[in-house]
Amino acid sequence: MSAVITPPAAAGPAGATAAAPAERRSALAVRLMRDPVALVAAVVLALVVLAALFAPWVAPYDPYYTDLPKAMQGPSAEHWLGTDNTGRDMLSRVIYGTRNTLMMGAAGVLIGGALGTLLGILAAFYKRLDPWIMRIVDILLAFPAILIGLAVAAILGSGLSAVIFALVVSTVPDVARVARGAAVGVMGMEFMEAGRAVGLSNRALIWRYLTLNCISTIAVFLTLRFGQVILVGSALGFLGMGAQPPEAELGMMAAQGRDFLFMAPHIATIPSLAIFVIVLAANLLGDAVRDVLDPRLQQ
Amino acid sequence: MKILETAAQAAMLAATLFAVAVPAQAQTLNMAKALDSPHYDSQRTTWSPTSDVTHMIQDTLVALDWDGKTAIPLLAKSWTMSPDGKLYTFKLRDDVQFCSGKKFTAADVIYSFNRQRDPATRAPYAWRAGKIKELRAPDPYTVEYELTEPYSDLLVQLTMFNNSIHNKDSVDALGKDYGVKGIDGTGPWCWVSWQPRTELLLKRHDAYRWGPAMYKNPGPVKFERLSIKIIPEDSSRLAAMMSGRFDITTHFPTQFIDQAKKSPALNVEEAKPNFQLMYFGFKATRPLVSDKRVREAMNIAINRAELVKSVMLGQAEPAYTYIDPNALDFAPSTKGIIKEDVARANRLLDEAGWSKKGPDGIRIKDGERLAPVVFIPQVTYFPRMTEAIQGYMRKIGVDWKITALESSIMPGRLTGQDFDLWTVTVPYLSAGELMNFYFDSAQMPVPNRMNWKDPATDAAILKGRTALTPAERTAGNQLAQEIVMKEHLWIPVMNARMYQTTTKKIKGARAHMLFQYTFYKGLDTSL
Repeated sequence: MSAVITPPAAAGPAGATAAAPAERRSALAVRLMRDPVALVAAVVLALVVLAALFAPWVAPYDPYYTDLPKAMQGPSAEHWLGTDNTGRDMLSRVIYGTRNTLMMGAAGVLIGGALGTLLGILAAFYKRLDPWIMRIVDILLAFPAILIGLAVAAILGSGLSAVIFALVVSTVPDVARVARGAAVGVMGMEFMEAGRAVGLSNRALIWRYLTLNCISTIAVFLTLRFGQVILVGSALGFLGMGAQPPEAELGMMAAQGRDFLFMAPHIATIPSLAIFVIVLAANLLGDAVRDVLDPRLQQ
Repeated sequence: MKILETAAQAAMLAATLFAVAVPAQAQTLNMAKALDSPHYDSQRTTWSPTSDVTHMIQDTLVALDWDGKTAIPLLAKSWTMSPDGKLYTFKLRDDVQFCSGKKFTAADVIYSFNRQRDPATRAPYAWRAGKIKELRAPDPYTVEYELTEPYSDLLVQLTMFNNSIHNKDSVDALGKDYGVKGIDGTGPWCWVSWQPRTELLLKRHDAYRWGPAMYKNPGPVKFERLSIKIIPEDSSRLAAMMSGRFDITTHFPTQFIDQAKKSPALNVEEAKPNFQLMYFGFKATRPLVSDKRVREAMNIAINRAELVKSVMLGQAEPAYTYIDPNALDFAPSTKGIIKEDVARANRLLDEAGWSKKGPDGIRIKDGERLAPVVFIPQVTYFPRMTEAIQGYMRKIGVDWKITALESSIMPGRLTGQDFDLWTVTVPYLSAGELMNFYFDSAQMPVPNRMNWKDPATDAAILKGRTALTPAERTAGNQLAQEIVMKEHLWIPVMNARMYQTTTKKIKGARAHMLFQYTFYKGLDTSL
């Protein structure tokens, strides 16, 4: 029965055929690449992600190997970004630190995004659940992410998992509101009524009609959110709630360098610059993705 | 780099000019501290930030001279010890009064020590007063202090802040707020107000004339008020001192001490002697570190001179013994026990059965990695130092799992058994104190966190504690040091230096070593 209805999400807003998604994706990519800022941001992010993924092969030294006589050396041919306060190679630690920082951001955005989407869609579809879910979301929104992070770290102990948990918790309410807003709009569409009329199950309606039609809105929001999540994660790392020694993480590395700002400024500034570059690239790319995906901006 | 150094020097010069240009606040001494206290009742805490303030407001029977070893008269003008070492008779000054105006007598001494040994007070440092049998006052200015067993360290321990003399009226009147809304004392400063984590305000005790002879000025102090502000952040404290906003601090960030010494605006004085050992202790009953060979391997795998030079920027002395060689009853025979030798460390671990290594280079035995859990305070130099040592450990195939704890929750976590090593810096007065406090089996599980229970150690400590002559005391304490050092129960790392930094306009502020703070009574400090 349900097979006779073409899922509107697959058909797309312009009513194209089911074979169109691949073409549409490639058209989106082309439009993105035409934007020079987006192109640079994408290239930078791609390089950062590749370096992080292949850190064991890219990093010139063991990021945990300490060499105290070489502590706090400035950039040189031997150590391109210098050494930290225990003589570890800064470049290697920045590469490994980027890995942890990106992992934190990705986990925060993906897990938080999935849970937030689920809550938002359920709130929009089941009117009885709506007030309950949204009040919980309101309560969560009342707590800044940093505060949640500190509370989680105090309860669970410091570590990357505590930071990821905090990032997820802080992402869920924002995404839930966006998802609910998008879903409420879709709920009023005629194809939803049609779906009900032909006897589609709630599960099919929620997934094929509601969720898939909200995905692009949520994806744009999450892309924009990625940089912010990295920033919050790094701030928690800076406060000592994140990765524990000898693990590298950019926020933690910046904090470690703070004590030596006069003597060896590179220890604090290099990881700070790395955070800046990643967040800037993520935000610029997020803006470009929004520009491409938002039909209102297209008009 | 050179440009930055020049910029830093220029900033300091500017700060100097600013400090000179801004007139001093008349008659108020401004002190910056890094840490505040939960309260200022000296009997109910081990917290060193309580100690300096209570030393200002309250007095002890005897004072600790600048040498860090000698007890000299303060509230007690003289004393005698019975031949069996169990009875001390203190003759008290008759010209002393509390800030409240109440006259000081032997009843106050008896009240204070009885309050401390009352289980309801839960005084963690009550042991420092010895095993008291009875306190008597044959007359208002004589105290008979009777012990159940001789206590060779008594006089030096009576200089500690927990043995300060309290006013019963003040304790009764304030009840649970004693130490929070006020304390009364016979010290050179009097309590005015306290905003926790912000400011403690004291005023001059005008009647004070009984300062210890170590000061040129017997009292009163030369400032009308003392404002103690809490500035937790290192760089903020640094900037505040450089700008002349504060006159004095014990907490000038160590990494900038060299710049402070070069600054024309500041005086830096090191407290000497100063006994403060930073160590890592092994919980010897935990499987990973129960083998003496494993403990010794970790003890000899680090390069202390390198650590002090790189991590502390030279502002500490490497420690190869538990007791500072200048401290009372140091055992010279312990000097050669810790011989740094990475090759030997590897051999010891192999012999202990940790010969296999995993793909990450960490040793494995029976499927378990040699990865002990290390608890550290998340303040000052502890994270930096521990991380550097963690690097040495990786080189011998040991993976230290560091857990950094906020300083207020660390004491609570250290009462448990779920860690293999921990680190703190311990201030102490003598070898006897350190041996009694940490290594006596009666002190398990805290502060004997090693869970070290050894009849030979206990016997040596008892011999030193109950000795009637200095020679016997020294022999007992030295034997105890040899035993525990050969067991490698601690990794001594460094003897931390302690500095008192003042602006140039402050005179006569000599740095004292007592319990991690330098101000003590501050009687000679002036403009």
